Order: sequence, then structure tokens, then C-alpha cells
Amino acid sequence: MTKSIPLLQSLRCRLIVSVVIIEIVMLSILVLNNISIIQTTHTDRLRDTASSMIQQIANTSGNYMVAVDYATLEDYLKNVTHYRELLYLAIFDRDDNMVISLGPFPQKNRPHEDISPAQTDDGIFDITQDIKVAGQPMGKVSIGFSLGIMQDAIKKSRIRGISIAAIEIILTVLVTVIIGIGLTRRLGMLSNAAAEVEAGNYSVTVPTETCDEVGKTAIAFNRMVSEVSNRTQQLQRAKSRSTKLLHENRQLIHYSLEIQEAERKHLARELHDELGQCLTAIQADAELIRDLSDNDKRIETSAIAIMDVSSRVYDVVHSMMHRLRPGILDNLGLVEALKDEIKAWESRNTETRCSFTTAGDLSQLSEHSNIMLYRIVQECLTNISKYAQAKSVTISLQNTTEKLLLEVRDNGNGFDIKQRNKGLGLIGMRERVESLNGSLKIKSEPGKGVGIFISVPLS
Amino acid sequence: MRLLILSGYILLSLFTPTGLANTNNHCSQFGPITFGILPFVSAEQLVIRFTPLANYLSRHLNTQIRIETAPNFIAFSQRTTKDKRYDILFTAPHFYPLARKSGYRLIASVDSPGMRAVFVVPKESTIQTINDLKGKRLATVDTKSLATLLIRKHLNQHNINPDKDLTIIATPTHNASLLSTYHGVTDASALMQPPYAAASQQVRDNMRIVAKTQRAPHIPISVGQRISKSCATQISNLLLNMSSTAEGQQVLKHNRFSGYKLSSADIYEKFSAQIFHP
Repeated sequence: MTKSIPLLQSLRCRLIVSVVIIEIVMLSILVLNNISIIQTTHTDRLRDTASSMIQQIANTSGNYMVAVDYATLEDYLKNVTHYRELLYLAIFDRDDNMVISLGPFPQKNRPHEDISPAQTDDGIFDITQDIKVAGQPMGKVSIGFSLGIMQDAIKKSRIRGISIAAIEIILTVLVTVIIGIGLTRRLGMLSNAAAEVEAGNYSVTVPTETCDEVGKTAIAFNRMVSEVSNRTQQLQRAKSRSTKLLHENRQLIHYSLEIQEAERKHLARELHDELGQCLTAIQADAELIRDLSDNDKRIETSAIAIMDVSSRVYDVVHSMMHRLRPGILDNLGLVEALKDEIKAWESRNTETRCSFTTAGDLSQLSEHSNIMLYRIVQECLTNISKYAQAKSVTISLQNTTEKLLLEVRDNGNGFDIKQRNKGLGLIGMRERVESLNGSLKIKSEPGKGVGIFISVPLS
Repeated sequence: MRLLILSGYILLSLFTPTGLANTNNHCSQFGPITFGILPFVSAEQLVIRFTPLANYLSRHLNTQIRIETAPNFIAFSQRTTKDKRYDILFTAPHFYPLARKSGYRLIASVDSPGMRAVFVVPKESTIQTINDLKGKRLATVDTKSLATLLIRKHLNQHNINPDKDLTIIATPTHNASLLSTYHGVTDASALMQPPYAAASQQVRDNMRIVAKTQRAPHIPISVGQRISKSCATQISNLLLNMSSTAEGQQVLKHNRFSGYKLSSADIYEKFSAQIFHP
């Protein structure tokens, strides 16, 4: 089963936190921007309204001011100034005396004129304009707009904006959590199923509830698991067959090696028993003929020639017998046979010195073990003489009571184990070791000789 | 030689408005002086017409001159007589006797043969004589205006009863009266000749004068009780000598006046008696 994922590494947690943070930041920016726009719009509207109204009043009041017709002007102003935000309106004559006042005028003198509704110090937007007729000053008009209504509207807009943003954040969080949980739950199921497959359980399937991306992934996963299962079963069957075949091949090789050794032994015995007897008989008859030749040179010469030929044939047969089955192995044991073989090898390879050491009791080995170890050493020496150009060879054989250890080392050319193909000689050695249930290791590097290490269990 | 030049400079200073203003600054003590003008045209038109004169006086009297008018003739008359609101009065000839009773002193009048009213009709109108106005709609200005009084007298002289033989429609101003006929709202219009002459060329080209009334003395200029005698003299001198300077001529040209002259209050008393009691 999968390990539990730390909270900060959880896809679900990261997804939800990321979306919520982005949502909060963006909505905050949006709300702040909206509030700013609303504030600007309201102040611009109030400023434009005030500017437009005071301009209209200044334009229309001129004639009344020239005519000093304040009553009519006041009636006119009362009719045109029905505006909720308008707090006061005052008309001043050319001597700055207030001649008309509508609404509660804040003080005796005209208040300080404000530049913008956003820059008032008393909550009233005060503006003043000259009343002129044909360019001649006739007085002034002052109007004041209460910012209360505007500020209420801005406040309501702000609250509305923040409320909408808050609701949106909550809804987003809820939706993200629901989708995140649903999504990561199914991803978790996929993860668990993958772990099951990794553990070798190919019977696992992931539910395919929906047709979304995760659902399609689940379908593909199930298909993949089914395919992997089929392929694995096929591979296992093929492996099983291969293993069986390999085992059978080895058995066959071992059997053929045994047959080969048996045939060699039989052939050597036949040569010794049959051909040896005959040659001995020929030798004896030739000696008799020579002795009975009565100084007949021709007979004596022929008899001596027969004796020489039969002697050479005997040597050849003896040599063949030795190669087929060294008699010394059966008669004196493995150690002596190896010594004999090494001695013969040294006589053929005079440039190479070979040392042979033994340890432990080696006299109780089976015939099969003896012949196999003998053949392995024989093969090693053949390879050294063929390829190694070694100056010295060391052969060590020891019985550790648990296993039999054979080491053959030379200081010759060596080779790259990774590059060099295994020759039939090495394959034969390995098969012989395998037939003894042992193991074979080869160590070599170019220029550093070759070491062959064989371990055979005695049990 | 030097003595001759100095004497000439003194004489010139005494008889030029600038010199008078600079040497005798009698009006500055009164603060802003109110220049009351009869509302014979709209307030804006009054300001446009009389601002150069007000500025001229202001510069030479070294005090502020403020143009004022009233909503209508009656209000103006009341402010003149009861409130004595105006320091310099520019009123109609027939109103001056009333103002005089309230203490206004005549210091000058517009130097002109006199004003009269005219009857105008559209160019294609069938009205050819004053008698053709019977049964028609005649636009005038305020009932107390000089024009109305002159045309009523003229109609009476032609045996036309203005209250029965035709319909008189009072309009706020001379211009309104003229335009009502121009646009066909009324059949004819009666107004003072100077405003008619000042109307646009397009209007005048499409109108025709069918009759003219008798002349009335031109506008009297008087000062109120608040103005001292020396200040009044200074104002009078400025007006009377206006035509002698380039600056004054520019102002007169703007007002379509040739100049100002000394005048007698009796002329206006006599005219008033005549116009109100034919």
C-alpha cells in the first residue's frame, strides 16, 4: 500500500490552497478597483452636477441681479434646485451681501471653496462662481452639496462588493474542495492500484465512474494492467519453458559428458586390452623371428623393423589411451594425475613455469568429480598455452571439508571479460562445474592475466 | 514762451474730462455709484449697451459705477421715486417729472432731436396706413412706456380708439414687440425708433414702417439727492465734454448717441403733461 502523503505535498491541499489564494487576491483587487471606480464616479458625478448647476444658475441669475429682482430670482431658484444632495444655495450681490439664501447656509461668510468632493474638510462640497452679465460682475453664487448621500451610496456599493466577493470566495472554496476531493480521491485510487500492480497483484481494477480525464485515465489504466498481466503471464510461461529447456539441456550435456567420459574410458580400456595385447604379441613374435633368423640379415632386419613399428604403434596407442582416459587418474588419484598432466604440459611449454599446490584430503573424491576437475585443469592449461603467453601458472586445489576450491592463475595477456565472447572451452568448463553443482568465476583484465575460481560443494 | 505753454496746459486741463476728473475728485467719497437705467430692453442688453459709459464714468470719477435696472417700468419708477435707489438716473422723458419730485436733478440729456415711436408691419402686409390697423393686433411694450404713450396719442389723433378699435398686446421689451410681428404673432408692432434701428438687418429688411409718432424729448440724465453738487457738476461736465475726446466718442458711438447737452427740466415737465393729459 502507498504511504500517506504529507499535507503540504498533497495535491488536494495544494490545489485548494492555490485556488483560494488566487481567488482572494484577485477578488480583493477587483473589489478595491470597483470601490475606487465607484468613488471616482460618484465624486465626478457630484462635481459635474454641481458645476453644471452653478453654471446654469450663474448664467440665469445675471439679468435678475442687474434688475435687482431678488424675489423673482428666489422663486426661480426654488423651482430649479430640487436636488436631494443640495444643502444650501446663496446669492451674493456685488458688495458680497447675501441677498438670497436657500437651505441652511453654514456661516456668515462664504465657506472656503472646495476643489473636489473628495477633498472636503466638513462633509460639504462648497463651490462658488461669479455671476456676470456681458462680462461685468453682478455678484456671486455659492452652493453646497452634502456628501452624506454620496458617501452612503459609496458605502452601500462597498458593502455590496465585499459581500459578493465573500460569497464568491466561499462558493469557490466549496466547489474547489468538492472537486479537489473528488479528483484526488480518484487519483488516490489510481495510485493505490498502481502500487498493487507494482506488488504483483494484476487482478486490481480502478472504478470508471465518470467519462472525464481521470475516468479515461482509469479506463486506460485498467486496460494497461490487463495487458501487463497477459504479457507477464506469457513471460512467466516462456521463462518457465526456457528454464525447463535449460535444465534439460544441462542434463543432456552432463549426460553426454558422462557418456563421453565413459566412452573414452571404454575406448582406452579396449585399446589397452585388445590392441595392447596384439602389439605385445607382435613384439614377441618379432623378437622370436629375429632370434631364429640364423644370422639371415634380411629376416633379422625385417624382424627388427616389425619390432620398431610395433613399438611406435604402441607408443601412439599409449598416448591415445592417456588422452582418452589417463590411467593414473584411476590408479593414483586426482593429485597425481594432475601432477603428471602438468609435468607433460611443462615439457611441451618450456617457457612457462607451472606450480601446483594442494591442501586437504583429495583422495576421497568421486570418480565423476575427479575426471571433471582433471578435464577443467586440462582445458585451462590448453587455453594458457594457446592464448596467454604466460611466464608462470599457479594451480591450487584444496578441500575445505565443506567445498572443494580450485584456482588456476596465470600472468599472461589476460582479456576484457565484458568484450570477449565466451569460447567453447569456457562453456565446457562451466558445464562441467555445473554438473558438479558448483560455481565458476573468471577474473581478468587485459595485461593482468587470468584467474579462474571454481567452488564445488562437497555435500 | 514758457508762460504761454503753461497757460495753455492749464486751460486744456480744465476743459478736458481727464483733467476735470483728476483735479476735482468729488465723487469718490460716495463709494460705488448706482447707475439706474430704465428697463427698455433686456437687462443683458442694457449692460452691453451702457457698460462702456459706466466704465468711462468710473475711470474719470475714480469710483465704481454700477449699472442697475428693475424688472419692469413700474418697479423702476417706484425704486426711483420711493426708494431713491439710483444715484445717476437714465429714465424715460415722461418719467423724469416724477423723479424730479423725488429730488433728482437734471444734469444733461442726450443731444438729439428727440425720440419717436414707429408703427411697423411685415413687408408683405396689407396694412398700408394707420387706419388699416383697425381690428388688428398691435404689439407694444409696457403700458407705461414712452412708446405706448406716444402711439396711443398718435392713434387718438387719427380717431382710432386704442382700447376699442384694435387689440393692443403688451410685450416685455421693444425687441419682443418687433419679433412678435416678424414671426406673425401680431399684425403690427409699435416701438421706439432707436430700438428698431438697432434691430438686425434681416428683421428690418422684412419689415416696413407705416407711421411715425411725434417726437419726444430725448433721454434725460439726472442725479439723486445723495450726489453732491460738485460731484453732479463733475458728472455733467464729463457727459457734456464726452464728444470732445476720442475715448468719449467711442463710448457715444457704442450708445448710438451724438453727444450730451445741457437741458431744462421744464421741457420734460411740459412733455409729461402733454403725454399724460392730451
